Amino acid sequence: MNALAFAWLKLVRQPARASLGVLGVAAVGALLLDMLLLSEGLVTSMRDLLDRTGFDIRVTATADLPGSGPRIPAATATAAALAALPPVRSAIAVRFADAQAGDPSETPLAFHGISGGPGRPWTVLRGRDADRPGEVVVSESVAATLGLEPGAPLVVRAACSAAADAPPPAMLTVAGVAAFPFDTRDEGLVAGSLATLDEACGGADADEADLILVTSAQETDAAAAAIRSIRPDLHAATNEQMIARFRESGFTYFRQISAVLSAVTITFALLLITVLLTVSVNQRLGEIAALRALGLSRRRVVSDVLCESSLIVGLGGLLSLPLGLLLAAWLDGILKAMPGIPSTLHFFVFDPDALVLHLLLLVATAVMAAMYPMLIVARLPIAATLRNEVVS
Amino acid sequence: MHVLLAIFLVLLASPALGQEDELPSILISRQLAALEGIEVGQTVRLGSDPDGSGARPFRVAGVYEPVPDPARLGMVPREIRLHLPDLLALTRGPDEPAGTEHVETINIALVEGDDARAFARDVNARVPGVAARPTEEAAGAAGTFSVLQRFHLAIAIVTIMAATIFLLALTIMLVDERRETVGILRLIGLPVRRILVQVLVEGLLIAAAGCVFGLALAVASESLINAFFQWRYDTALVFVRITPALAARCFAIAVPLGAAATVVASWALLRRNALRLARR
Repeated sequence: MNALAFAWLKLVRQPARASLGVLGVAAVGALLLDMLLLSEGLVTSMRDLLDRTGFDIRVTATADLPGSGPRIPAATATAAALAALPPVRSAIAVRFADAQAGDPSETPLAFHGISGGPGRPWTVLRGRDADRPGEVVVSESVAATLGLEPGAPLVVRAACSAAADAPPPAMLTVAGVAAFPFDTRDEGLVAGSLATLDEACGGADADEADLILVTSAQETDAAAAAIRSIRPDLHAATNEQMIARFRESGFTYFRQISAVLSAVTITFALLLITVLLTVSVNQRLGEIAALRALGLSRRRVVSDVLCESSLIVGLGGLLSLPLGLLLAAWLDGILKAMPGIPSTLHFFVFDPDALVLHLLLLVATAVMAAMYPMLIVARLPIAATLRNEVVS
Repeated sequence: MHVLLAIFLVLLASPALGQEDELPSILISRQLAALEGIEVGQTVRLGSDPDGSGARPFRVAGVYEPVPDPARLGMVPREIRLHLPDLLALTRGPDEPAGTEHVETINIALVEGDDARAFARDVNARVPGVAARPTEEAAGAAGTFSVLQRFHLAIAIVTIMAATIFLLALTIMLVDERRETVGILRLIGLPVRRILVQVLVEGLLIAAAGCVFGLALAVASESLINAFFQWRYDTALVFVRITPALAARCFAIAVPLGAAATVVASWALLRRNALRLARR
């Protein structure tokens, strides 16, 4: 009988403790998998989201994230100048503003105004696009909350931060209902032309944009370089560079917390499996000494312990995969309730690299957890142990 | 009155001037002072144009530690605090008469805090051109941190479940080791209930000792974790704080859980025949 089969029989002989050990590893393994998914999940999801919008360069006035720095003046002309560059296919200037629905519900809204084209950073689901002044498209959540359909009037109070006075409510018309890639649960989206937003803002800071979305004709880097060459005062960032900015600002907390929790989880698992195996080995010292006396080599009994550890961790690790994915869905649901998080953004995203790392960490845990009990078995004095067993 | 000045103001440090006492004073955040090598008493020139035109001299009256803001975690607060008239004079356009400037926000403290929502409604109705909001609505970050709290609670629940499973496995092994002793105790006349009480007390003591050790470890690592994250984010925020209430909650969860695991593991053993236990 080989070492693995022998270890399996030992586990089967004590099903309660073996099952609990496997379940414990499964729970810890699930948590470990989730922390590994969390470490890069947000970045992966954000990259996917940025890529799906169809724009591969974002131009801002400073290196700050869009919406948090100063705006680009003369946005329409700037977008047109960028769109005229040979490596650029299209350029759209976008301005963000906070707003409230003018009805008694005072529903908070995010108002996006765009200029340039072709292409829009949203997809019309019902009705048509907001082509005329005073027209807007609204997100599904706004349509549902305010009971709006294409053709319905919408009163909006925009809160444009740099305005000296809060402008009077703007009377708008809903042209259609659209899906926005950055739609959030807590704040509905309204979008129209930049001129419509400027008017809703009472003309304050007119024709300014928080960012210009650019689609390159062929090479992204060539388009970014062309933009930098004609407008060195602006910051043109590719999607990868935007992700790098996000990494430096908003996403570090989750990476740090996942690193800390991964380290704690793996240490926890290591300690507990070591204790389980050590107690198990100590209880079977007489049996192990007898096996040695019958002719089993030192290497063989040591490999028995290693196989036992591998079986507990291996079975627990296998169970941890579905358990971890379920747990990730639950934790993702909790974190997505955070204000300002786009509905399509995920904190836990399946990543083959994370799975490989998870497996490597579990293998290392199985080997390290077996070290001390293997040492006990390897140094076991056969005659003295057998004599003690008989005397006691 | 001070206001925050955005970091895109041009900042040029220069040697102290002779008439520095007459210059308007400013405060500089510790991070900005370190970054630009500015010291108290120095004169700096601030302007609102990136090219430095129209910059005016100010005297650095002090270096301050910005109020830790969890919502700005990861952003180094390169800030300057000016007296509001100085800031308005600095940012006022050439054609803008003094006194016609605007401010973004006016913070209001009410006598009765509960009336914030009603007060905001009243201001919105009576003062056209102003949008008033209660602080709880304006502070969107509060929602972020309540979500993070729920996230950490969920992690804690999973950790407790894993720890409970391991604890059960361990206690089953330890109880199994004492099978013979329990058999003899039963044979010399101790009732099952008496042995169970003994096991329970033993479990309580071990769980309490383990909990105290765990809390001591948490307290010891508290400053390490805080030091690491404060260094990592260059902030005075406190990330981990072991409060008496938190310690009591840990104790209230861990001790009954440990004792229960011991009793559950022992129960199967105690139900067996005493002779079978002793004759192992």
